[in-house]
Amino acid sequence: MPLETWQEQLRRGSLDLAILLTVSTGPRYGLAIIQHLEAFTDLIVTEGTIYPILGRLTRDGLLDSYWVEDEAPHPRKYYRLTRQGEKRLAHMKSEWQAFAGKIERLMEAASTAERNGRGSQ
Amino acid sequence: MVLSDTGTSRVNGYLFVLERSLATFLPRESVRDVVREIDSHLRDRISAAQAVPDERAMLERILSELGPPQRVAQAYSVERTVDEAVVTGRLFAIVKAVWHVAMSGMSGFFAGLSLFVGYFAGGVLIVLAVMKPIFPDNVGIWVGDRLISDGPDLGWHAGVNVAAASHGHNVGGYWVIPIFLTAGFGLLFLTTRCARRFLVWWRRRRPGFTVTVRPAS
Repeated sequence: MPLETWQEQLRRGSLDLAILLTVSTGPRYGLAIIQHLEAFTDLIVTEGTIYPILGRLTRDGLLDSYWVEDEAPHPRKYYRLTRQGEKRLAHMKSEWQAFAGKIERLMEAASTAERNGRGSQ
Repeated sequence: MVLSDTGTSRVNGYLFVLERSLATFLPRESVRDVVREIDSHLRDRISAAQAVPDERAMLERILSELGPPQRVAQAYSVERTVDEAVVTGRLFAIVKAVWHVAMSGMSGFFAGLSLFVGYFAGGVLIVLAVMKPIFPDNVGIWVGDRLISDGPDLGWHAGVNVAAASHGHNVGGYWVIPIFLTAGFGLLFLTTRCARRFLVWWRRRRPGFTVTVRPAS
């Protein structure tokens, strides 16, 4: 598998978590979510495709959406975490940390083995 | 910044194409909601943009960052139809999703074709099982001659033979009913399973969906 494909799959796999984390601090509308992702993760989602994902997360019951009419010259659709979304996010976070920890340990073990190998030569 | 009439027409044109594309698979209420949200997104982007002499270039940049309307619609269709099919496993949802995928690329087309062949063959076997008690001499498995005069001679045939008496030897009697039913439902089950697995694979690829990394500045 080419490196780019692997990177793409990694980003896709983590995007749901990134979106849920983004709205966990408070309700946000689509563009604000995109800007937050860009600012904090350097993940840039093709803008038009973030909305279908938000729609799916809403259908799955993880997000709740509502229109705010009077905040800007035009209405904005806001998304917020539901109770189910909070539970899912907590679960995803612990899974992510556990997984990242395992990969980190593997990388440390590989680095240590590499250093020892060089030292004995 | 405030758009000129030309700019407004360009945005309206974008939203019109999006609406038409979405209307092919989404309920009207959902289409209205999606178009309203994308409209809101565009207005936010435009109002945040600096007033520039070349309004057209600015607008094209904003629209290209959003993606072509057909591609945005496709992303919605992927999220809705394919996810529904994969998650629920319902036959209708799977057929609908494969049909949609079949319209979007070669792999989808061949999957759609295989699905059609699988369901058609399964359906035919079930129909034959139902027809056997009604036309006992014309439905069954024949050995030793062709079922249809211009077909290849494999040594045996199953199906409907309009001129049963003149071609081959009808074997199995009413036992062909459970055989046809098992084979028919088995084929439908297998086809559905394969279609679902294909959709899982296709969903992982998710065409029209890109997550990129900002180049180092």
